Amino acid sequence: MAYRRSLWKLMLDEFKRLEQELRNIEEDFYMKIKGLESMRGCITPLYNIYESGDELIITADLPGTSRDEIDLTVSEDYLKIEAPCRSPARRMREGRYLLHIRLPVEIEPESVKARYKEGVLEINAKKKIKGFKIKVE
Amino acid sequence: MMEELEGVVEIVEVEPTEGEGFIVVEGFPDVGLVGTIAASFLADRLQMKEVGYIESDILPPIISIRNGKVLDLIRLYRKNNLIVVISEIPIPLPLIRPLSQKIVDWAMSKNAKMIISLTGMPEPARLDIDTPRVFVLGSNKKISEDALKIEGVTAFTDGFIAGVKGMILRESIRKDFNALLILSQAHFNYPDPGSAAEVLRYLSKLLSIDIDIKPLLESAEELKLRLRDLMRRTSQAMQDVQKSRELELPAVYL
Repeated sequence: MAYRRSLWKLMLDEFKRLEQELRNIEEDFYMKIKGLESMRGCITPLYNIYESGDELIITADLPGTSRDEIDLTVSEDYLKIEAPCRSPARRMREGRYLLHIRLPVEIEPESVKARYKEGVLEINAKKKIKGFKIKVE
Repeated sequence: MMEELEGVVEIVEVEPTEGEGFIVVEGFPDVGLVGTIAASFLADRLQMKEVGYIESDILPPIISIRNGKVLDLIRLYRKNNLIVVISEIPIPLPLIRPLSQKIVDWAMSKNAKMIISLTGMPEPARLDIDTPRVFVLGSNKKISEDALKIEGVTAFTDGFIAGVKGMILRESIRKDFNALLILSQAHFNYPDPGSAAEVLRYLSKLLSIDIDIKPLLESAEELKLRLRDLMRRTSQAMQDVQKSRELELPAVYL
């Protein structure tokens, strides 16, 4: 019984240690983002990458800019977004969005389409499909 | 189990909450920060007064400072019979159940009329939607029926609700208390003031209060920028409660 209890305590301690470690990694991630933003004077926007069938969809939240000012560069496995950011908020100086993303799959750069609506940039790209077409019998 | 929860979370009233027929509105951070934006805008526009805060050892040891004033992370504001709960941080996973239970127990002890949870409903095609749809779900048939009397609102019938809002609703059903969940289609992890505006438009009709949402829409871009860090942390917290499940449908017939 005492052995079981000590084993249970060991497991709980290990869970707590792992939880704390995850929290530290998370906090380190936030610190790096904020540190980089302060050093470079740029803003890392919130972004998401989704894979949908033969498409790769990337969205980024870029409030305070305009469609014409967004500088978007793509290659087969890489994407860069740059745009000015104007904020009327107090204590927030005019900055610049900067986002570099290594894409999870290769894309056809010439297929890329982008739109900007209500502060959100959406980029759609066709995935580069390599391989042979096989006839199903 | 209840004994274990004793003392985990406390609602501290700076000013005694006395009266009848309170309506408690909570806007804890989650999908699109819709609840957070809507609740804090409501408290600001109605010039509500800070009347209490939530105390727990599980909360991070942080204080917030605004205009030289030290503030707690989760605060209660009041005007007349309306109480709004606002949080500056996403609710940590171990606090979700005790906090939800505490809010329901506290509301019941104050003879409150109802708890209203404001939130976003993750909508992958949000970019194609100009006016987000509003959905409602009550803790009982009467609350749902009353909520549906307002034009343009839809019943939430199938899906998952993760986090504090789901737990408040569940707790209210178990304790036969009135609770209403108001959801609006929103970006999953980008702050969505447009969605919050729709929630407020509905809420103003439901509670017959006058809320001008124009200033909210006008400051949408500024809000999105200011809330970027909270959204980033909330996205992480939403993973802890499997918030992505809200994009799924229940798998069984019954």
